[in-house]
Amino acid sequence: MPSASRLDTQSLALDLVLQPSHLVVLLPAAVSVLILVLTRRSARGAFVIAAIGGLLGLLAAAALLAQQARGGAVADPRTIGELKVGPALAVPLRLQVDRLMVLVAVAVALVSLVVQVFARWYLYSDPRYRQFAATVGLFTAAMQLVVLSGDVLLILVGWELMGWCSYLLIGHESERAKARRASYKAFLVTRIADAPFAIGLAVLALGARSTSIPQIVQHWQSAAADHGTALTAALLCVICAVAGKSAQVPFQDWLPDAMEGPTPASALIHAATMVAAGTVVLAKLVALLELSGTARVVLTIVASVSMVGAAVLAFCQHDLKRLLAWSTVSQVGLMLLGLAVLPVREPADLGISHLLSHAMFKALLFLLIGWLSVLVGGTIVERQSGALSKHLAVRWLVGIGLLALAGVPPLVGFVSKDLIVDEAARRGVDGDVSARIAFVALVCVVALTAAYTTRMWLILVHRTGRQRVVVREAVEDSYDIRDVGIVEMLAGSPQVDVHGRPLRRDEPMPPVVDDDDDGPLPEPQPGAGARTGLQLLAILSIVGGALIFSPMLEVDWENANLWLIGASLVLMAAVALLVRLMSIGTVYGDAAARLPLPLRSSASRGFDVDAGYVGLVARPVVALARGVARLEGGLDRGVQALPALVTRVAGAGFRLHTRRPTSGLVAVALGVVLVGLMGVIWW
Amino acid sequence: MVAALLAAPLAPIVAGLALVAGDRVPRAVSRHTAYAVSLAATLISLLAAALIAYDRPSLNRPWVPEVGMRLHLAVDGISVPLLLMTAAVGVLVVIHARHEQPGGGTPGTFFGCLLLVIGGGIATFLVQDAISFFLAFEVVLVPMWVLINRFGDPKDASERARAAATFVLYTVLGSTLMLVGILTMVFASGTADLATLARHPLPAGQQTVVAAILLIGLAIKVPIWPLHSWLPRAHTIAPTAGSMLLAAVLLKMGTYGIVRLVIAPLPAGVERLAPYVATCAVIGIVWGGLVCLVERSLKRLIAWSSVAHMGFVVLGLMSGTAIGLQAALFANIAHGVVSALLFAVVGGLKHRWGGDDLSVARRALRDVSPRLSLALVIGLAASLGLPGLAGFWGEVLAIFGAWNPGGDRSTGWFRLLAAVAAVGAVLAAAYALRVLRIVWMGDADGGRPLPPSPESDARGGELVVVTVLGAATVVLGVLPIILLNTTSGAVDHLMAVVGR
Repeated sequence: MPSASRLDTQSLALDLVLQPSHLVVLLPAAVSVLILVLTRRSARGAFVIAAIGGLLGLLAAAALLAQQARGGAVADPRTIGELKVGPALAVPLRLQVDRLMVLVAVAVALVSLVVQVFARWYLYSDPRYRQFAATVGLFTAAMQLVVLSGDVLLILVGWELMGWCSYLLIGHESERAKARRASYKAFLVTRIADAPFAIGLAVLALGARSTSIPQIVQHWQSAAADHGTALTAALLCVICAVAGKSAQVPFQDWLPDAMEGPTPASALIHAATMVAAGTVVLAKLVALLELSGTARVVLTIVASVSMVGAAVLAFCQHDLKRLLAWSTVSQVGLMLLGLAVLPVREPADLGISHLLSHAMFKALLFLLIGWLSVLVGGTIVERQSGALSKHLAVRWLVGIGLLALAGVPPLVGFVSKDLIVDEAARRGVDGDVSARIAFVALVCVVALTAAYTTRMWLILVHRTGRQRVVVREAVEDSYDIRDVGIVEMLAGSPQVDVHGRPLRRDEPMPPVVDDDDDGPLPEPQPGAGARTGLQLLAILSIVGGALIFSPMLEVDWENANLWLIGASLVLMAAVALLVRLMSIGTVYGDAAARLPLPLRSSASRGFDVDAGYVGLVARPVVALARGVARLEGGLDRGVQALPALVTRVAGAGFRLHTRRPTSGLVAVALGVVLVGLMGVIWW
Repeated sequence: MVAALLAAPLAPIVAGLALVAGDRVPRAVSRHTAYAVSLAATLISLLAAALIAYDRPSLNRPWVPEVGMRLHLAVDGISVPLLLMTAAVGVLVVIHARHEQPGGGTPGTFFGCLLLVIGGGIATFLVQDAISFFLAFEVVLVPMWVLINRFGDPKDASERARAAATFVLYTVLGSTLMLVGILTMVFASGTADLATLARHPLPAGQQTVVAAILLIGLAIKVPIWPLHSWLPRAHTIAPTAGSMLLAAVLLKMGTYGIVRLVIAPLPAGVERLAPYVATCAVIGIVWGGLVCLVERSLKRLIAWSSVAHMGFVVLGLMSGTAIGLQAALFANIAHGVVSALLFAVVGGLKHRWGGDDLSVARRALRDVSPRLSLALVIGLAASLGLPGLAGFWGEVLAIFGAWNPGGDRSTGWFRLLAAVAAVGAVLAAAYALRVLRIVWMGDADGGRPLPPSPESDARGGELVVVTVLGAATVVLGVLPIILLNTTSGAVDHLMAVVGR
């Protein structure tokens, strides 16, 4: 415990080497190390470590927040010390604690804790629960490192580590070929997008002769006039990497495939960590983004296209978990627009506030869809239809999450989204090109978000899913007559979707209770801790918007354009009504069923972008690799001629050496004698 | 302290010679004796290396005055990490050799050859004299040839002979060129002392010629594309312990030679040749990565990845900046640790599977052998440059170093090379994950993971080896400062001399 003299009670400043900011990063990392080292087989032990570590991590983040609010936080705590790489580059490797990033750190720690607690229930019988919990810990640590980093190399460290952890989590159920492919794809797509990242950071850092972010920002702000092209190029490299990690066009397709991972992993990846990391990094460099018009326009276009396209795809998805995945792509585009439309010399409050609100409601929604999938045995529309009309416990929470996602006042999603729309409108009127593009895209997205959230809600509360009832009866029948082997086999065999492809089927099935004549089945539900966590996320989704009134966020909420708010509400209501009308008369209450089937199935595959990845990148590279391997074979044969040649020469020499005086030797000897004689005679 | 300087290389060499000679008497050395002697010799050597690293003693007296050759043993920040790594890997290799001893010859010869290679490596990193450097360098070749030829993969005798012949002929060709270069340099400047050579550079024209000869000779040892053909063949055939030594010691001697014999005494020559050598290195990065994408033999794949990683080291060396040099020295050590780990794991897998063909369907390693699979994951993750593991810092700093090259090097060209190297790092991710997907995740579809089978997991000596190497990989990745601070003083000194 720190002694009283070390702790300044006024500002909460702590005079120790180890600051709360260090603990925010180190505690989650310690979770993963301790789980791997201490627990052998015990899932319970792993859970205890994960829960305590997660809670301590959250407390550390809260302490950091308190310090920051009181003004006692150390702004640039040192980490492992400065790397000595010569005079051309200083690598101080320090952290950077500021107002916005502390808020993000708290959100990350909170979501991570809820995910850890929920995962214990969700993966209760999973033999790889330990690895899962350890990976979540490392993932959280990597994200916190990115959030609190004050050095581009530390950002790169956290950034790549997150990619790796997402690989492990997506490939968690590696018995399934789809999970293996999805994890491979996720890592490679993001890694390809990261290739320019190192270059971009090298340009920024070598220009500033330091890898420290404050130094980089300071240097380039003065050097932008002379080296504008270099700055733009570097920022474009960074934006490319951000598009990769945040699943923006053209790298978007890894994210829906990442749904192969267990649902808690999706909640973590989508809500608080990997996908949001792009926003965090750009928020740190936002002062430079304002200096380069080209980079801003590119960012606006990428984010707008991703945002609108993903919202359209979300509406058409046949799998509700993938619907949420696409909505993440759309919402991250919204955050990035929040950075792109910022007024000059403003900190990145708009983007970060949407990041915070998205973290709350998206974590909530993903964990709930996981809960529902356990209850109804799948995430496709046919399974989920009517799920909420039977399982009332989840109903309120889902409703809150969807309302927040749609952006209905006064929920948190409304507050942060409206601020961005407002700013885009204001700057668009002032004549800013990227703000105008952004505004048009935002209007589309407001409508589309309302459409897909309404669709999801209507599916979930649908009452007359006759086929669903038939399906459920068939399944429950099989529990009654378990002795009949073939029925058991049918119930236990992998389920297929409408295309006959196997669905993910490794979630624990609801526990089977044979005596269902005695009353309704007791519904499986997460433990009290996980439910408290979900309720906490729901409460924050409702009241979190109040954060804009606090001094922690500096946003201009007083001059909100009420007409704009009213218009967007009317638009949302109209769209919701339209979707309701479309859903009437459909079997599963699915409004998208009115759309043509080819469109829906193509959209469910993400418009077959995957085939583009394979055709444009994977196949040519493999073909090139085969070509190189053939060339290498030729080179190798050439080299192999070397020992063969030597052997041949040696063999020839050996054959010539017959250990007898040969005629040639006699001739040479005679010749020598002859020459000698001639010399003697003519001398 | 001077005793430590002599003990570090001589303990393994003398013990090795004794073991090899002991095999010639009627009653051959038993396996236990050979192991005990080898372990003792390598431990003495490791202890001596630690003392040397701590105390930095120096020994300098005339040896063969006719050619200006002196017995000059000393270390600086550049050689200390290599010395320690060689000594430590030596101990691990001996432990591993006890666990997995191939047939084809007696234990005495096997351990003796391992010790000779280790001793030669240690001597190489200790000597401060160009001609004795060459001698120490050559000590390792014949024992390595014996290891490959006699103790290699027992299945294919003709391939064994061919790999061994390619190895020895190719590297002797490199040695010959190196000897020519060294002698030219020594006679032109009248001294064989490395430090003196660095202080009195030759005229620029001569430097270019000598640097070209030396670089071609050393490029065979490193190896740099397109002189790498011996490496995949030798690695594939060599016994696991031999592969570990080849990766952790022999390749490092090549890069160390470039630093000591080329970069320090011949700065002008290096500056002229750097773009060509760096281009070859970057081609090697991409070439190795691409071959790994379609390679079917696991051990060969790891060997190919060595070619790619050494490309980063050479790119850093050729950049002519302190960042690049630091990156190269870091990546050098990192590669030694990581590839030793990977070869230990992969050799173990080949042993268990009875082959290393990746196209054969097998159960997921993560289920079958959790410990071995963790070691494989750490090794491959480090190989793809994951932060927090050893591979990351060297590669990223090499790119940083090449972005703004030193001296009169063409900035545009080096930036292009840096960009291509960054793409090559993506290839590393692609092939490392390809291996993980095939080996670690298996090819099952559906069903629950099966319970592990502890009898096939890493145990005993193998577990010790992979644990130590895995831990070293993590420590180097988390605390790169240990290594970078050790080398930084010597690098600054070198850059001051070179930049004059």
